[in-house]
Amino acid sequence: MTVRFQIMRDPRFHLLHQVTQRFSDGPESEEYRLARAGFVLEDTLRKKSEVYPGMLLAAHPEPDMGNLYCPVRGVVSEINERYIVIAAKPPQMDDPVMPTVDLSALEGQELLNGLKNMGVDTRFLSQNKELLIVNALNPEPGITWAEPMLATHVRNLRSGLALLQRICRAKRVVIALPEGMNVAYEGMEVVHIVPEYPNSLDPLVVRAVTKKENPPDVGIVGIHTLWGLGRVVVTGMPLTETVVTLGSRNHTGNYLIKNGTRVCDLIAHANIRANKGDTVVVGGPLRGQSISLLARGLDRNTTGLFIVEADTIPPLDGDVQCCNCGACSLVCPARLSPEMLSRYAEFARYDKCVKEHIDACMECGLCGYVCLARRPVLQYIRLAKHKLALDKRAIR
Amino acid sequence: MQHTLLAVSAPPFWHCGRTIWKSNMTFLLALLPAVVMAGINWGIPALRVMALSVSTAVAAEALGTRLTGRPLRVDNFDAALIGLLFSFMLPSAAPWWLVMFGSAICILIGKIAFGGLGASPLCPPVVGWAALFISWPLLMDPNTAELSTSFIDPLVRLKYFGMTAVQDMNWTDLLLGRQIGGLGASQTAALLMGGLFLCARGVIRWEIPCNFLIGVAATAAAFHLARPELYASPLFHLLTGTTLFGAFFLATCMSCSPNREIPMILYGLAGGVLVVLIRNLGMYADGVPFAILLINLLMPQLEMIRPKPFGGR
Ligand code: SF4
Ligand code: SF4
Repeated sequence: MTVRFQIMRDPRFHLLHQVTQRFSDGPESEEYRLARAGFVLEDTLRKKSEVYPGMLLAAHPEPDMGNLYCPVRGVVSEINERYIVIAAKPPQMDDPVMPTVDLSALEGQELLNGLKNMGVDTRFLSQNKELLIVNALNPEPGITWAEPMLATHVRNLRSGLALLQRICRAKRVVIALPEGMNVAYEGMEVVHIVPEYPNSLDPLVVRAVTKKENPPDVGIVGIHTLWGLGRVVVTGMPLTETVVTLGSRNHTGNYLIKNGTRVCDLIAHANIRANKGDTVVVGGPLRGQSISLLARGLDRNTTGLFIVEADTIPPLDGDVQCCNCGACSLVCPARLSPEMLSRYAEFARYDKCVKEHIDACMECGLCGYVCLARRPVLQYIRLAKHKLALDKRAIR
Repeated sequence: MQHTLLAVSAPPFWHCGRTIWKSNMTFLLALLPAVVMAGINWGIPALRVMALSVSTAVAAEALGTRLTGRPLRVDNFDAALIGLLFSFMLPSAAPWWLVMFGSAICILIGKIAFGGLGASPLCPPVVGWAALFISWPLLMDPNTAELSTSFIDPLVRLKYFGMTAVQDMNWTDLLLGRQIGGLGASQTAALLMGGLFLCARGVIRWEIPCNFLIGVAATAAAFHLARPELYASPLFHLLTGTTLFGAFFLATCMSCSPNREIPMILYGLAGGVLVVLIRNLGMYADGVPFAILLINLLMPQLEMIRPKPFGGR
């Protein structure tokens, strides 16, 4: 990729933060909100049901998506069309204890089913590859959990990798570490990656390791996923926690939160305020989604939560024309022409997007980051991808 | 706190901070030295032409956006910039109606007719210039329009009086804009400063001016080496007429220049080569605006040279 020093000199894109502080515990809230979209509720689950940590609340109909488990001791206070709301209460002496599960005897499909029953999504786990790459970089600017995770959660990560290897059976495992970080993962082949975004994106890490673009038979896994797998092995309990980076202008910290933790509880816990007009982002600041309600619960795939204060970036302008400055095609790591993709999407010419190789887009968000006209370039591309996927499904 | 009203938006939520407004302001800032030099060299008439052109352009933009039913965005200074760039190519003695007419053409035909910002296939200021140059060649030719000056027009001298007439050019005069030419386009040193500033700020892509100038220098050198008694040196071509202005401010026009490496290099080189070909072999003394229109037309073809997408075969 051409380095455009004038465009890409944002120091925030450096992915090595020298963060060594261990993860803080998330808040012990009064209320948890678990998103229920896509899940089938257990028959016995009602309002006022007593729930316990690790209890099955809802199953996912897809065989390769994890089920939904209860993160805390509490009572179901509400079930609406979006959430199962749980009011937490202190554990009692006579609470039933969920049995721990040992996955070590399982293999193949049984193991995958076992993981599903531990609340793990197995759809994106690499299976039967020649080479398995562990992507140990912070995935996105702003996110800082990778270094402390690598340094202090060694057992978790190793257990996760051992488990994944039973599914992946790769002949060779390589760990991609950021250049400038030395952790000893003995017995593992290490490749160093220049820690600048977008180098942390999976396809680019694969290229850095194999020197090929999209080679077959190569699997890649991020350490966030690996951490989750390891957690299941180490605790023997379903996965009901996740690690998130919480960032605002003046604060950044990593938290180990229970699934369903509400955004407002987490930011209050960290002593941050979200003010009127701020944007709150779930995920990373370049690729995440902005939310409208602070009472929203964070789900198990959350990796970050960011408060973007009002007036820190020029406002987005959805109708503005592309001024053809070309910045987006100069930074696009997939060598696409985002200005054309976004224009075709704007005018619903999704067929043209296919001709412009929209499927090669890695959704890095850089096109929107550099856009002079403040067009929602990435959003247009995602819209086109979504429409194309719908079409494809309709044909099938 | 649960009910705080949040602003919902689309990713990315970080931004590099560069906007059209900022880029145009930087552009105007880069033109400032040349504006000052034009004022010094040509006096009040030059300032009058520039002011008139800028205000006409803004008014034309307002009219045009109303006619086409598009939202008015003069606050991004794009129209003002086009107006100023256009005025740089006029003689300071241009009559008021010529300035207004040309400036309106730049905006209405060069920009609005093609769909506004970012959609023009031809560099808007050059469109206005070309329309006037074809219609009123005498009024547009600085050499015939500027009668009350002691400056000389090096390019016209070269064309009609041959190499001997430009043998003892004073380079300092050329650099300081003491030559007949477009009122701003001939402020060589000031434009060079502004252009380099724009490159450093990333407002224009340096590959284009750089290769444009290489094209000029290399072609001029080839001619000069073959027939030194007939053709002027590369430096002469770089410092006279509209060369530097064209390279930094016209050829780099966002909507009509390519934006990938190889196309940018070819585009710049082609422009530079054409300039000298037109000057040395063609009928016009200064070939820059025509060269720029020609490479603008070449742009879609050049854009077809592009890398395969990631993972593509
Ligand atoms: S998000 Fe934009 S810049 Fe990133 S790969 Fe896709 S098109 Fe290219
Ligand atoms: S960065 Fe924005 S304005 Fe520039 S070419 Fe891309 S889409 Fe157009």
